[in-house]
Amino acid sequence: MIFGMHPVTFWIAVSIAAVLGITPLIFLLLEKAGKLPPALRMDVWTRYQSWLVLAPLMVVPLIAGRLPAILAVGVLAGLCYREFARATGLFRHHLVSATVGLGGLLITFAIADHWYGFFMALSSLTTSAIVIFSLFADEPKGYIQRVALGIFAFVMFGLCLGHFSYFANDRLGPAIQLSILVCVSLNDIFAYCTGKAFGRRKLSPNTSPNKTIGGALGAAVLTTALFATLGHFVFRGTALDSPIHLITLGLLLSLTGQWGDLVMSSIKRDLGIKDMAATIPGHGGLLDRFDSLIFVGPSLFHYIGYFLGVGLDQPARVFTGH
Amino acid sequence: MDEWKYKPAGDQGLEPTASFRSLKREVGLIASMTQAAWRVAVRAYLRGYHRLRVEGVEHIPLKPPFVMIANHSSHLDVLTLGAALPWRLRRSAFPIAAGDVFFETPAVSAFSAMMLNALPMWRKRCGSHAMQELRDRLIGDPAIYLLFPEGSRSRDGAMGRFKPGLGMMIAGAPVPVVPCWIDGAFHAFRPESKLPRPMPIRLRIGPPLVFADVANERAGWQDIAARLEAAVAALRAPQQP
Repeated sequence: MIFGMHPVTFWIAVSIAAVLGITPLIFLLLEKAGKLPPALRMDVWTRYQSWLVLAPLMVVPLIAGRLPAILAVGVLAGLCYREFARATGLFRHHLVSATVGLGGLLITFAIADHWYGFFMALSSLTTSAIVIFSLFADEPKGYIQRVALGIFAFVMFGLCLGHFSYFANDRLGPAIQLSILVCVSLNDIFAYCTGKAFGRRKLSPNTSPNKTIGGALGAAVLTTALFATLGHFVFRGTALDSPIHLITLGLLLSLTGQWGDLVMSSIKRDLGIKDMAATIPGHGGLLDRFDSLIFVGPSLFHYIGYFLGVGLDQPARVFTGH
Repeated sequence: MDEWKYKPAGDQGLEPTASFRSLKREVGLIASMTQAAWRVAVRAYLRGYHRLRVEGVEHIPLKPPFVMIANHSSHLDVLTLGAALPWRLRRSAFPIAAGDVFFETPAVSAFSAMMLNALPMWRKRCGSHAMQELRDRLIGDPAIYLLFPEGSRSRDGAMGRFKPGLGMMIAGAPVPVVPCWIDGAFHAFRPESKLPRPMPIRLRIGPPLVFADVANERAGWQDIAARLEAAVAALRAPQQP
């Protein structure tokens, strides 16, 4: 423990702070050397400023404790839903939005309560509620579309992001969550860099024309190595601290991360829009940033859950227990 | 089954302030709740503090599109017109508000959008493009516009001349325009006052006029302005039984 934090948590937080501290110096050096064209200059500074706000907003709640972490992911999920609903047109159906919102609130409550049974029950309860409550508008025209979009949204932002959030109930929660966040972000960057270097064959030219098979494989190798290394320190002394488990976890993370990215690309291409919103200057919407996080949660959660359990040694049913 | 008709929000991809100022802004669950809360509070305030009385509610069309117009001498006018609309029409109603007052700063824009559901009209640079956009939305949505054809608040309580801009939105279209007369708002909250005074307000709603057969050109717009000005002025003196 360092300052009450798991060493991995501590060092990731320090590294992020260091990167944010050093980046402007690198920009200044590049500018001095004349290697930063004015057109690019504005862009990188806007992006940097956004990271300067975004990174603490992500990292601080995760290390601040169980409840801040769960609330922060809940707020993130709500904002992601808002972007999704406005982009797809679902937002015009307030009854569906209200039901998805209620499901999201209950999910957040179940996680904060550390009530795994209720958390799991909400997948069937909320999807049924979306199907049933949508009847009350008495508007059969477009019913299937409304319901389908509502369930799609709830699965991605309620259930999937909820799984990421649920790690907060584990002793290793902040370390796992921060490792996931760092690896998912670097996964994108690895894919971009190795794709530039080795990518020739397109991965899915219709969905996302810039992605290459080389980039996908490169990211899978590098991210798996990184997560396996971090995971070795996170899961030290547990059943998961073996190469086969760590490599499997890393591969799961890299693949589900890249698939999340492709899912959002597919949605955007279907809608004919470039960004999901303009929430973060230089990045587009929150969903453009967090798309690759969505499906990582459930896959890692249930893998870790199978071998170790999540939060089993922590007090359960914090609010509803007796 | 229907074709897939869902499309992104009209203001999709805009940053918050630009979205508040957009004529294509669409309301989601959150804004619809803040607007409903605001509406309830405003109606209670007008009924309690200003003893608001409304005559001629039966003249309000049953469904959009339509336009409600009135004389303008107070900030209470737009609240009064909005309060007269039935609850089920609330989500279609957009006050058309002066951009240089209600959409000047980001905070005020947020209030105008989230509470009033107002759309901006930029008085100094209101091109025909913006008018066309407003017209398209009025008919396409379909929507209800609350607006004041004098263009700004009267400083002495007397009604000014109607500007022809409104004609550009409705000439040649089957959109009813409901003339209204607001009595008492000027004395209750004068343009130079800081706070409203507890004076009674009365709203008189007249039968709607339609200008479907008027040509959508300058002469037609002026004709519409003159006829609406006469219709609103006629409501000033109530008919004796």
